[in-house]
Amino acid sequence: MAQTLINANPTVYSPSKTSQRILTFEEQDDSFEDPIDAQEIFDLIRSISDPEHPLTLEQLNVTQCEHITVSDESSRVLVEFTPTIPHCSMATLIGLCIRVRLLRSLPDRFKVDIRVRNGTHQSENAVNKQLNDKERVAAALENDHLLEVVNQCLATAGLRGQDTPSP
Amino acid sequence: MPRLELVAQLKGHNDRVWQVAWSPNGNMLATCSGDKTVRIWANTSHSDTSKWDCVDVLDGAHKRTIRSVAWAPNGKELATASFDSTTGVWEYEERDKEWECVATLEGHENETKSVAWSANGSLLATCSRDKSVWIWEVEADNDFECLSVLQEHSQDVKMVAWHPHEEVLASASYDDTIKIWREDDDDWYCSDTLQGHTSTIWAIDFDKTGEQIVSASDDTTMRFWKQYKPNNPEGVATPGNAPKWKNICTISGQHERCIYSVSWSKVHGRVASASGDNHIKVFTEESSAQAVNAPTWNISASVSDAHGVSDINSVSWFPTEKHSDWLASGGDDGLVNIWRYIDDDV
Repeated sequence: MAQTLINANPTVYSPSKTSQRILTFEEQDDSFEDPIDAQEIFDLIRSISDPEHPLTLEQLNVTQCEHITVSDESSRVLVEFTPTIPHCSMATLIGLCIRVRLLRSLPDRFKVDIRVRNGTHQSENAVNKQLNDKERVAAALENDHLLEVVNQCLATAGLRGQDTPSP
Repeated sequence: MPRLELVAQLKGHNDRVWQVAWSPNGNMLATCSGDKTVRIWANTSHSDTSKWDCVDVLDGAHKRTIRSVAWAPNGKELATASFDSTTGVWEYEERDKEWECVATLEGHENETKSVAWSANGSLLATCSRDKSVWIWEVEADNDFECLSVLQEHSQDVKMVAWHPHEEVLASASYDDTIKIWREDDDDWYCSDTLQGHTSTIWAIDFDKTGEQIVSASDDTTMRFWKQYKPNNPEGVATPGNAPKWKNICTISGQHERCIYSVSWSKVHGRVASASGDNHIKVFTEESSAQAVNAPTWNISASVSDAHGVSDINSVSWFPTEKHSDWLASGGDDGLVNIWRYIDDDV
């Protein structure tokens, strides 16, 4: 790869055993309506690939289930993610991937906010502002090149934490 | 308690509706969308206000989302601002009975976000993510000359709005400020910067006199700003001998999410707002002669889920006396709604 990696040597984390959902009786019964919860959101985004490495956001500890807040009743989702390094120039792209994944997967009623975790990025406010400006997001998604990059990152998203590619 | 009643629902766009704009006499409504078209709608029945038709579709000229649409004051031309970075000017050809794109204004480096005609139609303003505001002179034969490129905003410029009868322009930005632009000897300059909002300002509108502006922001508040001219009786300092704008009222706690649009009726003076919290709200100023420098605005009507579960991107009051109680709205659901403001007490 010709360009220098932003973070050439990231720490890789292994998924914790408890991060798989244990299905309850009601969840297995189709006649019950399962509310969307943090685990469901986490499953949707954990296997998104990092734009730089053949690793998932979960393996890089960018996304964690505890940093997702969901209110199914009021249709709100807040995803906080942790860039691998505080000057990560990929933070906006990672956030955009998370946004697009949720945009494509969640029912329309959900209002999604995506933020970098407090104190984990030097341009925190700028990144947060851009990620939550729907006009900027709409314009970005009309950019074919950018959309292709996003789609590449999302190609692994369907794994939902199963059989994540090994580093 | 007054209320908003749904009069009609206009279906046709197949992507989110970004802006709704009444023609100057109110006979037509233009709407623009992520589907790269503008649709023109008209109430086609004299007796039934719920009967609307899409009478024209303007397409083919823009390669990306049309973010903004504006009518020329004569009602015969339209301007469209697109994410493809250009601004289109359209004219109604009486002969062919269709709208034709007669000019494409190029110059902005990326997404053009808003376009507006000055009150007498001689100037056009555009703004973009490239942080600039351009002022164009409308010349004969669909020629447009760029008079000025204003680059004082430090971030995207979201919206431009002209004073209702003077050549004074206001611009609202992602940099959380509003700037007022005036002309002095062919030179356009920023005469004031309005600070107070704590996040992106998505929309601004003047009142009918042009003495006040209302602004709507991602910080979930709306602010009212009043102009103090040099030698004003209130003693507000006016540096540079240009009018000074002051924040005289702030509405907070009414919307839970970003406010995308605000419309100040030039007929009855009510203000309508539209938000990402799915609500449309209407505010009325408390009448009191003492309150000119500190007005009170009260909520008078509210609709939840005005576009179902979708964000509402635009609201606009009907421009004339005829149906001044009508309010048009456009949302992420791709629909355009026409509402009637009903006050049973009157």
